[in-house]
Amino acid sequence: MISSTLSVSLAVLRRVMIQTIKNPAIIIPSLAFPLVFLVAFAGGLSIVADVPGFSFKGGYTAFQFVFVFTQTAAFGGIFTGYRIAEDYESGFARRLLIAAPHSAGILLGFVLAGLARFFLTGLILWGIALVAGMNVLGSPLEILAMWLLAANVSIASTLWVAGLAFRFQSVDIGSFMQMPVFILLFLAPVYVPLALLTGWLKLAATYNPVTAILAANRGFISGEESKALLAFGLAVGLAALMALWAVRQFHRAHRSVA
Amino acid sequence: MARDNGIEVEGIVRLFGGGIRAVDGVDLSVAPGEIYGFLGPNGAGKSTMVLMLVTLLPPTEGRATVAGFDVAKQGPQVRTVIGAALQEAALDSFLTGNEHMDLQGGLHGLSRNERRTRGAELLERVGLSDAAGRKVGGYSGGMKRRLDLALALLHRPSVLFLDEPTTGLDPQSRSALWAEVERLSREDGVTVFLTTQYLEEADVLADRVGIIDHGKLVAEGTPTELKAGIGQVSLEATPVNPNDRERLAATLARFGEPAAASPKSVAVRLAAGAAQLADVVRALDADSIEVADLQLHQPSLDDVFLQQTGRSLEGEEVDKEPAS
Repeated sequence: MISSTLSVSLAVLRRVMIQTIKNPAIIIPSLAFPLVFLVAFAGGLSIVADVPGFSFKGGYTAFQFVFVFTQTAAFGGIFTGYRIAEDYESGFARRLLIAAPHSAGILLGFVLAGLARFFLTGLILWGIALVAGMNVLGSPLEILAMWLLAANVSIASTLWVAGLAFRFQSVDIGSFMQMPVFILLFLAPVYVPLALLTGWLKLAATYNPVTAILAANRGFISGEESKALLAFGLAVGLAALMALWAVRQFHRAHRSVA
Repeated sequence: MARDNGIEVEGIVRLFGGGIRAVDGVDLSVAPGEIYGFLGPNGAGKSTMVLMLVTLLPPTEGRATVAGFDVAKQGPQVRTVIGAALQEAALDSFLTGNEHMDLQGGLHGLSRNERRTRGAELLERVGLSDAAGRKVGGYSGGMKRRLDLALALLHRPSVLFLDEPTTGLDPQSRSALWAEVERLSREDGVTVFLTTQYLEEADVLADRVGIIDHGKLVAEGTPTELKAGIGQVSLEATPVNPNDRERLAATLARFGEPAAASPKSVAVRLAAGAAQLADVVRALDADSIEVADLQLHQPSLDDVFLQQTGRSLEGEEVDKEPAS
């Protein structure tokens, strides 16, 4: 069963990557959004770094980059999951479901494809940020941890969208795929540290799991101490929760296939 | 083929929202290596039946086994032995024919070498070798259907499901596909479950035919048996003068029971068969009824459908009404 699942997931991964290579427009949205944010906020809001109470060793570009990097991870997952809904609309999902003896491989394949797309866009983003002069004070191990943490965000968002795709089997649900992810991302300390937020936004950010993920990754990139364990716990927990959601929706839609 | 690759269906039911019984208590049995034609109009329940048999849709009631595996409880085992080409070939327009073969082979767990050799062999068999490196977005409808069939055969399935495989194909592509399906059954022993709304397709290709209407199996047998059940040849005549239609009906009524005919014509089932044709012509002459057209019809599967349901299966004949 394991080899069959792996074979299915690799086949799905290969297909998504072929699509991406042949049609680069597929990855443009998941790259364009974070790039616009990086250019707009890291440049336009750099004066925020002078605000009293803002003390980030890496500088404002690195501070903002961590958010943009996390956003890239989330978008990689969303746009990959979106393809599942497209496959349902076109009927291609049936081909996958009939051919794959163990359907878990299909979901795993899309998760791997989401990770591959994140890896690709993340590398481009890193390249642009480094060329733009971003300070990286963290060790290679800390940067690896940063990638791993973001990868969990990618997995969670792919699974969230996959669950929606299984349930509604239509791309019409597209805006609902993105909206909760947007809300979670923007109810975190995006532009300033948590300590500088006030009112309801501070309250929301305090309990938002993305806050801990951003804080840990900002600690990694600047080489500062961070609550890495909490962040990894939350990120893995979020991915596990989304896996349950996706699998439940899959079983609901395809009781006899699962 | 060593394994029993037949299909057994017992009292299968599929309910949809609003209490719609898309498939309503169907029993059927398909022998290993047999081509079974599942015939019915749009919305009769053909595709729902196929979706249940290929494990994409769980039955609401009843039981079905494919190659001995229960479709509701042994989905993975069923999927390893079946191939399926469903309505409207679902292909990825960005992928080439070769890449589709590679994907399909990967889904079935074939090695890279197997994917390559078997893929090339099948693409050649369906006449797509030259187009194998092109994106399928540029394929014609017939090419897509042929690729879909090749994909369904990649892992050497013992049971093949074809859901309206020739819809929209030109006559040449249709004949080529029929030939390949027949070869698969006769030479490779593949069991074929074929849904179609084309009478000719079921007649030419199927060893046995099941006719479904409103989710129920209304007739089953070999095409010859089913048509023999109707028995009589029918004669259809069109008067030169439309006002003669009633007189024509009265004359023809002497030779048999009224049958379905187009609005301008009159038809009867000849009680004593085609031998009565000369008598009919003499009677028309004696009654001074001029006819523009006179045709003898052998019983068709449409007649079987008409007899069982009171309706015609063929779209162009839906307007037919029994002669008065």
